[in-house]
Amino acid sequence: MDELATEELVEITVTVNGTVHRERVSPRMHAADFLRQRLGLTGTHIGCEQGVCGMCTVLLDGEAVKGCLLLAPQLDGRELRTVESLAQGGELAPLQQAFKDCGGLQCGFCTPGFLMTATALRESGRRLDREQIREELSGVLCRCTGYDGILTAVDRVLNGEQR
Amino acid sequence: MSSVEVAEQQAPSLIGSSVPRKEDDRLLQGDGRFTDDVEPARSLHMAVGRCPFPHARIESIEAAEAAAMPGVHQVLTGVEVEARTEPISVLRPVPGAADLPFYALASEVCVFEGQPVVSVVAESRQLAEDAVEAIWIDYEPLAHVSDPIAALAPEAPVLHPERMDSNLLASNPQGRGEPEKRLAEAVVVVEDSFRIGRVSPLPMEPRAVVAEWRPGARELIAHVSTQVPHLVRMQLAESLRLGESEVRVVTGDVGGGFGLKLGLYPEDLLACLHAIELRRPVKWTEDRVEHFRASTHAREAVHDFRIAADAEGRFLAMTDTYVTDLGGQNSPFGSAQLSSIVFTGPYRVEDATVERRVAVTNKTPIGAYRGYGQPEVNFARELLVDRLARRLGRDPLELRLQNMLSEEELPWKNAVGALYDSGDYGRCLRMVAERIDYGGLRAAGRGPRPDGRYVGVGFTSFVERTGYASARFLANRGSRFGAHESVTLRANRSGGIDLYTGVSTFGQSNETAFAQICAEVHGIDYAAVRVHAGDTGATPLNTGAFASRTLIAGSGAVREAAAALRAKTLRIAAARLELEPDALEIAGDVVRCREQPQRAIGLAEIHVAAITGQGIPGDEEPGLEVTAHFEPSAAAFAYGSAAAVVAVDAETGEFEIERFVMAHDSGRIVNPRAVEGQVRGALAQGFGAALSEELRYEEDSGQLLNGTMLDYFVPTASDLPPIELLHTEVPSPVTPFGVRGVGETGTIPPGASIANAVCDALAEFGVEISSLPITPERVWRALREASNGGEGLEG
Ligand code: FES
Ligand code: FES
Repeated sequence: MDELATEELVEITVTVNGTVHRERVSPRMHAADFLRQRLGLTGTHIGCEQGVCGMCTVLLDGEAVKGCLLLAPQLDGRELRTVESLAQGGELAPLQQAFKDCGGLQCGFCTPGFLMTATALRESGRRLDREQIREELSGVLCRCTGYDGILTAVDRVLNGEQR
Repeated sequence: MSSVEVAEQQAPSLIGSSVPRKEDDRLLQGDGRFTDDVEPARSLHMAVGRCPFPHARIESIEAAEAAAMPGVHQVLTGVEVEARTEPISVLRPVPGAADLPFYALASEVCVFEGQPVVSVVAESRQLAEDAVEAIWIDYEPLAHVSDPIAALAPEAPVLHPERMDSNLLASNPQGRGEPEKRLAEAVVVVEDSFRIGRVSPLPMEPRAVVAEWRPGARELIAHVSTQVPHLVRMQLAESLRLGESEVRVVTGDVGGGFGLKLGLYPEDLLACLHAIELRRPVKWTEDRVEHFRASTHAREAVHDFRIAADAEGRFLAMTDTYVTDLGGQNSPFGSAQLSSIVFTGPYRVEDATVERRVAVTNKTPIGAYRGYGQPEVNFARELLVDRLARRLGRDPLELRLQNMLSEEELPWKNAVGALYDSGDYGRCLRMVAERIDYGGLRAAGRGPRPDGRYVGVGFTSFVERTGYASARFLANRGSRFGAHESVTLRANRSGGIDLYTGVSTFGQSNETAFAQICAEVHGIDYAAVRVHAGDTGATPLNTGAFASRTLIAGSGAVREAAAALRAKTLRIAAARLELEPDALEIAGDVVRCREQPQRAIGLAEIHVAAITGQGIPGDEEPGLEVTAHFEPSAAAFAYGSAAAVVAVDAETGEFEIERFVMAHDSGRIVNPRAVEGQVRGALAQGFGAALSEELRYEEDSGQLLNGTMLDYFVPTASDLPPIELLHTEVPSPVTPFGVRGVGETGTIPPGASIANAVCDALAEFGVEISSLPITPERVWRALREASNGGEGLEG
């Protein structure tokens, strides 16, 4: 509880999924905890808090970053996007639909991490073949799928059906 | 004509089709509800202090300062926990084992690094963790033993002297015939000792619990990330001395289980105990460092295997004496028990014996993990089959086919009495050989190729038990759960069906498969079936999801419930339409006359009539709800074969898996995409255990060396070899729809096929491999030992 914390709280202003939030945060709190506990955006998951598993991947000013390696005060003045921003009006985004069509998820715990990583790839406009996509996605772990469905889904969205 | 047959006449069949998964929409949108996503108002947070030594006596605990820290609500130690709770029960005891009760907190002696010693509840997680740091615990380190073989030596320190004279918890011999006699007469005997490394199942979601207690209502609600909510409920009630009706376990989405989340853990119990005593919600989520020390590990075993054969290569006998490591104390499932069931594999062997020996060591307790002993024993047996082929100058493919049970020989009772139900084992093996172009590869030779590398091919064949033989089989072994599954179907007023199951959802696509079967049998739209899983307050009492049993038992329960619901729906509709029930069918959202489809009535209307009891025939009871229980008549044996093609650098030991092909049979397939996902996922775990995953302990300190994600290597997207899957579909005669379990198959073949391929590539050097994982360093060592003229057996 904040009133028991000994350290000074830091005030930040951050835009998350298009909404501006002004919050006072502990300087020790990481961004994934901030999203989950402060904003109730529990789609961003936590798997290691060491920057290895990628469960906490979010977009910071359009770039995929690991939320557990980022402190909440570093979010000040930045723009953040999470998995909750992808579907519009109850319609799955093309990437989400592709994951669904290609068997890209099982337990779904890693899915937000992959979706955000792939969203950044897509928005970068880079042309990537399947092997390059494989490399790009290797910062997020999945223990259920063996990655095949995930790769197919991302490949399909980045490069179109014909491949 | 039974209602099931009627439903099957409707085209097109849902069973066998890759319909979109029920689970996906919420998970894709970040709207899954995992246990850590649950946080009731006024929640407190728990942190656990753990023993840093593998074996130590607790001399004293100084907690007053921590208890007085601002924001700290309670500190519990082992003495208090022992007084206020019962030991955590074992769900699947080892037959013949001494009772080794364990409490949620250690009070006198700790037997593994990471064992919980104190728990603290505070206003925030950080404050609780800070308070744990402020507790002063004085330990006297004791002599430890990490290696399971060393633990059985007479000079080893005995870890549980009050209950056991040695560290051998149990030994379970099984088998038939006279293998020793056959071994003595045999022309050739191959034997070796095979070591299988210790691994972590490592689900991406760590364990978590949120406990709430309402004293006036005497209701404990425990949100737990588990594969078995109803079993956890039983264990919680027992340990907390509550009636089962006072405990409700709620399990939402589970981020992977793989056997690790099978039953009650100490932290689950502690959070509940704190919540009861503090009358506040208490939450705990494991961090990954804790996970590596306090969540069950798996696999570690040493198999001493022998195969005897005659000059023609006919297998005469097999024996396997193996030691599994239990770790420091029991876990709800304990170490693997299935090696004994499938040790002879798909082969015709009359004389065979197996003995499981369970050793206690100062390491994290071992629990279930996908495959549960089957990958381990497959590695030992299949490596020896290849060595036998080399000894006899035979082709390993031919030797396997010669000894494999044929389709006509099934059903076959193996040496321990397990009944292989049906299948064409040889066909899968021939399929993989053909797919890799075995003939062409052999003709091209082993190399070295222009790139300097040697090429090898490795095969493996296996059978896999899926589901449980029967409740009687389980009773004989003291297991505390049944072989059946139970499902409730309840019609709702929107014209849909709610399906309630105690099987929680952790990636196995059970919501989808259950809804598919329900829709198929009943006739309702797949989209109109909603699955509610994992809340013991709402779902029928069941066993839970493990041992590839969900679909085998659950599909029968869904089928029976759907058929009964359908029959009643048709009777009510028949009265309203003034037709015979036989003349009707359910098609999507209507019940209609098969001959004159315009004579129809909405399903919602029938549901409302039944639910209100208004407008139903006089001899019908109101209500439209069915609970069905189903126990399959036997376990079903899945089977398959795999081949790996590797290229090995004989200088460095580095190797590349150029191809991996598996052909398997999971009987009738309900959802092909889901099955492929299960197989690929299990294969990835199999490759991890074969190539890169191993929990290593430092010999002198007994400490875990690589207990973080930074230094325990699970496969990433770039680490897996190309995988080609083939399958056959021989229905099992012992299960509903002919399904066989599929969740664990993929864990079995990688280790054996890769090892055989590496040894094949390096055959001219005389290299043999005997342990998992197979790392370039181990291959390099094996090469050196072979070139030094030794036996060529690396350690
Ligand atoms: S939780 Fe951030 S990378 Fe694992
Ligand atoms: S779907 Fe379970 S971890 Fe990826």
